[in-house]
Amino acid sequence: MDLALIAQHVVNGLMLGLIYALVAVGFTLFFGVLDIIKFSHGDVLTCGVFTAFAAFLGLQVLGLESKPLILVVIGVLGMAGMAVLGVLIARVLVLPLKGAPALNVLLITLMLGTVLRESIRLFFPDGANPKRFPALLPDWSHSWGRFTLRFDNTVLLITGLLLIVGVQLIIKHTKLGMAIRAVSQDEETAKVMGINFNLVVFITFAIGSALAAFAGLVSGLYYNEITFNMGLLLGAIGFSAAAVGGFGNLYGAIIGGFLFALLQTVGAVLLPFASAYKDVFAFGIIIVIMALKPTGLLGEKETQRV
Amino acid sequence: MNQHPSAPVSCLPALLAVPLGAVFMALSLGSESQGLVFGLLLGGSMGLGLAHHLGWLDRAGCSAAAWPRTFGGAVLVAVAGVCLWFHDDPFVLFLIATVLVYTLACFGLNIQFGFVGVVNFAGASFVGVGCYTAAILTKHTAIPHLLVLLAGGLAAALVGSILLIPVLKTRGHYAALVTIAFALLFKIFLEVNDVMGGPQGLKSSGLKVLGWDFNRDVSLGPFEGSFYLNYVAMILALTVLGFILARRLEESWIGLKLDAVRLDELGGACFGLHVPRWKITAFTIGNFYCGVVGAFFAMMLGYIAPSNFAFGDSLILISIITLGGLGSLWGTVAATAIVILLPEKFQILQEYRFLLYAALVIVILLFRPQGLLPRPLRRYAMLQRDGS
Amino acid sequence: MNASLLSTTRLSRSFGGLMALSELNLEVGRNSILGLIGPNGSGKTTFFNVVTGIYAATSGQVSFDGRDLTSQSPQTVYRAGISRTFQRSRLWLPLSIFDNIIMGDHKHLASGLLFNLFCRRRLKAQLKESLARARELVAIFDPDLADRLFEPVANLPMIARRRIEICRALISSPKLLLLDEPSAGMTREETFSLVDDILEIKQRVDDLTIIIIEHEMSVIERITDRCVVLNFGEKIREGTYQEVTADPQVQQAYLGVD
Repeated sequence: MDLALIAQHVVNGLMLGLIYALVAVGFTLFFGVLDIIKFSHGDVLTCGVFTAFAAFLGLQVLGLESKPLILVVIGVLGMAGMAVLGVLIARVLVLPLKGAPALNVLLITLMLGTVLRESIRLFFPDGANPKRFPALLPDWSHSWGRFTLRFDNTVLLITGLLLIVGVQLIIKHTKLGMAIRAVSQDEETAKVMGINFNLVVFITFAIGSALAAFAGLVSGLYYNEITFNMGLLLGAIGFSAAAVGGFGNLYGAIIGGFLFALLQTVGAVLLPFASAYKDVFAFGIIIVIMALKPTGLLGEKETQRV
Repeated sequence: MNQHPSAPVSCLPALLAVPLGAVFMALSLGSESQGLVFGLLLGGSMGLGLAHHLGWLDRAGCSAAAWPRTFGGAVLVAVAGVCLWFHDDPFVLFLIATVLVYTLACFGLNIQFGFVGVVNFAGASFVGVGCYTAAILTKHTAIPHLLVLLAGGLAAALVGSILLIPVLKTRGHYAALVTIAFALLFKIFLEVNDVMGGPQGLKSSGLKVLGWDFNRDVSLGPFEGSFYLNYVAMILALTVLGFILARRLEESWIGLKLDAVRLDELGGACFGLHVPRWKITAFTIGNFYCGVVGAFFAMMLGYIAPSNFAFGDSLILISIITLGGLGSLWGTVAATAIVILLPEKFQILQEYRFLLYAALVIVILLFRPQGLLPRPLRRYAMLQRDGS
Repeated sequence: MNASLLSTTRLSRSFGGLMALSELNLEVGRNSILGLIGPNGSGKTTFFNVVTGIYAATSGQVSFDGRDLTSQSPQTVYRAGISRTFQRSRLWLPLSIFDNIIMGDHKHLASGLLFNLFCRRRLKAQLKESLARARELVAIFDPDLADRLFEPVANLPMIARRRIEICRALISSPKLLLLDEPSAGMTREETFSLVDDILEIKQRVDDLTIIIIEHEMSVIERITDRCVVLNFGEKIREGTYQEVTADPQVQQAYLGVD
């Protein structure tokens, strides 16, 4: 096993981990604020990247040439669009079900995910087939021996990490973040303290959904391909990552995301004859971890009140 | 409703409703033109609306609840009647059999989801376990087919119990995680794996019980019918059995304990409730139902493939029990009929199936979360029977 | 000491940095009624939660009827003979009154799959007998409810629900009954009648010890033999109602209680 191959695996793993972590952070934010699992999250990711793709096609028609500009525009549109979608979901589906058993929210968001996914498949032109996502970052690269470091991957990685750090800073050091944390810990007291509960929920959903859109964009740029059901597996992985880290725990979600990517990479290396098994392997390990540490590696937030 | 109603409830309204329903079903199933079916549906809906407005629906409902055995018997006779009516129409018989297959599987899911509150997003995968068990056993062994059905159930129960271990100590969403992961991976695993036939799937032999070959057309004296009549009879018997067991489970001390687990584990624990035991029990029984269904389905179809057991199929099962009303057995029957039969009659719907049912569930959860035929309060029918 | 049914030795429970219970030494005499009072947040419900196994003790011991029950599971505590009500009513709301009450007797309800599915006649006999017992118990607290055992609890007002919770706790004939603010939300008349009902139960049953958390002092005065006052998780005073309320330290803790 030579160094170049290892380095390649590492870069690949980091990219995957970044995508998963971005999705997982969304899951954990939603759980933190509302004690709910929003299963449509993976499909919001798909919507986000398809929105970006549609924007790209639109810009092409308009004749826009500058790739960096296109990238920024579609990125912003995708993220903003999903932020709006996130707020709508919170407003129409999640908040009205606040008193209902948790299973209902689980179900309704799962079904929403299906609606989003099927809508893309049925109504996006030729939605059932994979689409080639444009390469909008310059393809400069530098090689050291047999290891090639690509500029576009590096940019994605750095931007993604900055975003995650940014969200983390917001949560830890701003008033908004404090409001989010207050609502996570004790909704009633937070309301009594004058925090606008609904607003905090909307903002949280907006942030989480925008992150998902970004993750979708990263995925599209990295793999140069998007499909209508890419969100399904990504959502399941993001969910398990958040679970393994401990729901409600931001660091847990990030660690969980990178851990899952690590497991997948290890799995692919150990079982080169069937790379499909890498998913089975990774999920299997996650399930074992959950069996051993039911509240996640870093501990889930306590929600019971006796 | 009082425990001692001042006037005994008549069984007539329920008994009148059943043949009406049967005739409606027969007409709908028999008609070829989509226009006619649409007209029937429209007429049927308006009829139901009128009946509701006049209070007849409520009376029929009370009547059915007061005479559960009579009502159940009447429905059974009606279904058998409809089947015999279509005795030489293999397509309709196959359809009825499919509806019953889904119904029985959903009974199992209702025990898991509606009774004890354990989510199972891999219902179709457990059916798949039963299917593959049957396919393998019938091809490679000479085990009598009734035992193969049993084996399918046991295999699904076994796989389920392995999955359940991480779930027991954790909260609801972890059960969701484990079953979703299983649902996604089951199909992948089968497709990648050539041992189980890979993406092409496996063939299975048809059902043969005590020398009676189910794949032979029925010919009893002057009576002749499609061979699917055999299968319908079998799955009808299995469904009735499954219904009775589920009902007995519900109306017993165990049913009460399952409800307590679902509604408030901690409160239950303070009164000695052993939560993991009941989750295991319900989850296993539910998977057993799915496994038996799967084994039967494999033998009826003669051929199974991984694409039948995708995540989307599990979601259809979930949609059915949500639409019908969580924990409501009759609700499941009604919802299955709607979900399976409508796309068959309206071909346009086929493509939009997943989208429509997902949207329908969303609407139900927002506006009528108790479902079409909400689960009634447990009254221990056996207590009411002799007017205690 | 055999006269005490429940005794805790230096019982402590902390949550992170917060000492909810601090070195609590408490004894409850057999067949007596003990009042547990103190300002909000003084650890009363936490005490119940630790005794019933919902929280593990951080340190110290709980001894019940000669057995060490420290940090046992809630199921074990229940089987030993301790039942409770909750500060915030915890009933299974969609279920009927009968279902809610009889679940309190869970340890006597057959769990066998074969029995429940196939011995229907015997099950029916058990149901009838349980129904009669539940009816008799409810009739003491609320005669009107006794005829309506098959209504969902969710439809009932808070007062009725509290009474049902008490019935649920009593149906298994526990040795120790823990009542957490049973009169919360009740009017004076309802509170009065509640105390009568509890005293009536106490008379009917041979072996019943009660610990009652209350803010309503009239209840404590009428019903309890002794009181324990908690403040910030510590026991600050113990004695009869008169002794305890006369104590200036107790009065200070409550900031103005008469």
